[in-house]
Amino acid sequence: MLSVLSLLWSALCLQAPDTLAAAVLSAPRDLPALKPSEEIQLKAGSASGAVNLSDAVKRFTGVQIKDYGGAGGLKTINVRSLGSEHVGVFLDGIQIDNAQNMQVDLGRLSLEGLSSVSLYNAQKSVRLQSAKEYASGQALHLTSSVPGSDCLRFKLKGGSFGTLNPSIVWDKRLGSRIGLRAGAEYLGSRGDYKYPYFDTTLVRENGDIKSLRLETRVCGTLDKGSLNIHLYGYGSERGFPGPVIRRASGFPFSAERQEDRDIFAQLSWIQDWTEWYSTAIRSKYSNNYTHYATHPEKNPMALPYDLHYLQQSAYVSAVQSFAVAQKWSFDLASDLQWNGLESDAWQNASPRRLCFTGALAARYRADFFRMDANLAYINARDAGTEPARSAWMPSLSVAWEPFEWMELDAFAKRSYRLPSFNDLYYSLMGNSELRPESAFQSGADLYVHSSSGVWRWEGRISPYYNRVSEKIVAIPTVSQFRWTMLNIGLADIAGLDLKGGVSAVVGDLSASLVLRYSYQRALDHSVPGSHTYGNQLPYIPLHSASADIHLGWRAWTLCWNTLYNGERWSRSANTADYYIAPWSVSDAQLSRCFELNAGLRKFSISASLRVANVFSYRYEIVQGYPMPGRSVLAEVSLQF
Amino acid sequence: MLCAALSLAACTKDLEPSADILLEGEELDLKGFGGSFRKLFVLNEGGLGANNATLDFLNLQKGRYVRSSFRKMNPSVAGGLGDVGNDIALLGDELWMVINNSGIVEVASAVDETEIAAIAVPTPRNIAFDDNYAYVTSWAGAYATGTYDDKGNYTISDSSNPKGCVYRIGLKTKKIEGTVEVGLQPEGIACYGGRLYVANSGGISSQLPPLYSYDNTLSIIDAASFKLVQTIEVAPNLKSVWSDGKGAIYVTSMGNFWDAHTGLYVLFAGNPSQVTLVGSGSAIKPESLHVSCSCCADGAVYCIGTEDEFNWSAVHNYYLWSCKTEDYSSGKLSITLYPQTLTGVPYGMSAVKASFDDSSHYLVIGDAGDYFNPGTVSCYALDFNGGEKYWSVNAGVCPGHFAIW
Repeated sequence: MLSVLSLLWSALCLQAPDTLAAAVLSAPRDLPALKPSEEIQLKAGSASGAVNLSDAVKRFTGVQIKDYGGAGGLKTINVRSLGSEHVGVFLDGIQIDNAQNMQVDLGRLSLEGLSSVSLYNAQKSVRLQSAKEYASGQALHLTSSVPGSDCLRFKLKGGSFGTLNPSIVWDKRLGSRIGLRAGAEYLGSRGDYKYPYFDTTLVRENGDIKSLRLETRVCGTLDKGSLNIHLYGYGSERGFPGPVIRRASGFPFSAERQEDRDIFAQLSWIQDWTEWYSTAIRSKYSNNYTHYATHPEKNPMALPYDLHYLQQSAYVSAVQSFAVAQKWSFDLASDLQWNGLESDAWQNASPRRLCFTGALAARYRADFFRMDANLAYINARDAGTEPARSAWMPSLSVAWEPFEWMELDAFAKRSYRLPSFNDLYYSLMGNSELRPESAFQSGADLYVHSSSGVWRWEGRISPYYNRVSEKIVAIPTVSQFRWTMLNIGLADIAGLDLKGGVSAVVGDLSASLVLRYSYQRALDHSVPGSHTYGNQLPYIPLHSASADIHLGWRAWTLCWNTLYNGERWSRSANTADYYIAPWSVSDAQLSRCFELNAGLRKFSISASLRVANVFSYRYEIVQGYPMPGRSVLAEVSLQF
Repeated sequence: MLCAALSLAACTKDLEPSADILLEGEELDLKGFGGSFRKLFVLNEGGLGANNATLDFLNLQKGRYVRSSFRKMNPSVAGGLGDVGNDIALLGDELWMVINNSGIVEVASAVDETEIAAIAVPTPRNIAFDDNYAYVTSWAGAYATGTYDDKGNYTISDSSNPKGCVYRIGLKTKKIEGTVEVGLQPEGIACYGGRLYVANSGGISSQLPPLYSYDNTLSIIDAASFKLVQTIEVAPNLKSVWSDGKGAIYVTSMGNFWDAHTGLYVLFAGNPSQVTLVGSGSAIKPESLHVSCSCCADGAVYCIGTEDEFNWSAVHNYYLWSCKTEDYSSGKLSITLYPQTLTGVPYGMSAVKASFDDSSHYLVIGDAGDYFNPGTVSCYALDFNGGEKYWSVNAGVCPGHFAIW
């Protein structure tokens, strides 16, 4: 029953109707008390339309994507106004993190090779989670699909602004127990879209990107266990077009360029030793190199920076799970991570951090009632600074199914995010005495669902209250040249997420409609008496909404998505100067699948055409960074 | 609507001298401030990259504070005033504004804030005038050195020279008529006796290889030949230069935020090599004469400083002090330290005479708040008596620069 539900919650536009089988979850004791607040199932080989992860999650309730525009522009996720630093992004249970600024650029993460994307508010709690999964305020979980039978898959996307995005995936069985997947993906885009600038139209310059991703995974099935090895390499070279400002003619807005090279190797081994005892070992090494240069020879207005960064991280996690009775299970997780950053941006700082995260989790699972109680502990020691930063993070979630058609859950959680290396050690701003930033989350969900005949419908009502305290804020001190970071921010966020969906399948025809609405009152309570006290936080709209329509007929699929963002401000001074007008953007996609039998081989082909921003609505998500107007992306995928 | 306002203003020219009189504003009780002056202009810097530099003015006759008047009066200027307004100065009825990250020196009418000229200068910082020219310091060299052709196109000739320069702009032509190279990231500039005094900060070099250090020199330029004639070591990270009009040149140092404190230095035009830290040898020691911001009025320099400069906590108490040269031959200074303290984030200040014939002064202080949201402008008695505000008004982001007309 739950598996059906989780499917219904998913964004139907991105989900092919025949992914039902893939969504079947394992035993009830493995279910989390809290379901993901949003989940998308992705099917390999079908046209997803989304170019990257941010496209996929932008419609979720409570989510704000900060997008600087274009294929190469930074895209970060903020859930229920806690700030993007509180959203952990996990790939197969192992965090993709960034100790330098604590933000993950969703634009760099591909949907290729994923089977699902799930967003959790507060707590995901399933057996054999790593401690970092418990310690993350909110989490976006990416799950890779398992390599299937031997096949080769080509995909080619191309469209407006010189965007070209070919990819290839090769699945190979190496014996009955081992599957291999190798993949490569290239993304190139000129990013030269037009935007209005007062009475004229300008073209975005220096917004191009070239990137290459190479991946290999080996998935082995053991006796009552599994082994996964994942090697990942990503390289990119891009320009930052800079904010649109008044600039003397002849000077460009920006000539900034950045090269990145990210490499990681991760391993996970999950084993059931007995009926009641299981373990998981996870490990990762990552190496991220960045070269950022402002190229003053091309832009006389640029600050002359030419900086190199090398971030390394080594991570190991060991989890034990005890199923002590039919209904109770306990987990003990211990993670150890080392982070280091080297750079020529600082005179002498070369920060190193050793971070221990531990978690004790208790789970109770009955037929109609589930409960998780977790306690996580984090202790981070930075080389050369005393004392270590530590924090306890309790969480409690309960879920109850009073009727077959109704489910209620509630949660409360306290979590912390560590200060980033930038917060602590940046030469003109860093404050090595910062404490971790604290987030308290509480909320409840009411799910209802029903089906009759060909119809299915579902609804969710989710009120919540969050508080971010000791928020790390950059403030100036005795002069405008000397800023510092302080734990002075305080924000209270009360909100309501609503979601409703209806779908029907009649013969060859399938149709669905999903409506989402979010209300967020996110108030700045940092400095009593200041004229920003009690105002709405920057970039958080009071109202946002989306609508997804999905129509399928035989091999044809038509999707429509409209996203609405209400008025908001770029500062907590909610004045006319910082007002950002509401915007609404619609995307449409038409796709068709073919099955061909050529001799002994069976081909499957899918083709799609996606039009983003159909009405060419002119808008900015971040003030000064115009977004593209209408664009077209065609996609052909071939599997054999 | 603005067109209507303009035409209406044109019709009523005899009654109202300025078309901007119809702009909406906030009424203030000025409590006598302003006297026979017409306007107090406030240049709000805005944030880097946010394109929110704004020009506000306080109509001293009507007690009305008008925000963003440049943008309102120049709807055809795309992008408004621009990105980071770093300096403002009046020359007769012309208002010269230095818009740092737009690369523009904007000349507007003080009467109604309408644009007269926009002059391209790479990363301009501060401005001073003599009878023939405006002189604008520029970090250009921190980035690249180049030249403008007749059409205003800029060609880079050297992209690795970190030195800045002073641009000379004809007062009538509103065109660049020469440059001279100075030190690293020049900031303040003052003109006295045919010489230009330029404070070099090295604020960018301090963060970057290979130097990782501030500049500590004052460049002296002969205005007639427009050549560098002398470079004098003062202290790290120089910021503002003030001429008292009688031969004393004051230079503020922002220190290095680590072990060198801020301070005020004085030198005399007759013997510029001899630099004195204000307070050394006097009863009031330099340790209590710190400088966060400063201004100059009627031969005296006024500074606001804070005691514990290296404590990066949020709340600081600020104090006011002033310095005046008593005897130019011996270099004797008179220093006054006012007992009253001020909280907030004083970002820019101006000492303003109440009126032409009134000898009493007021102090106008811009408070930057969190530097991200709009700040405030407040008016105090010059002696800071009681710290009582005569008036206070919400301005733009980082109200830091003032000019009275």
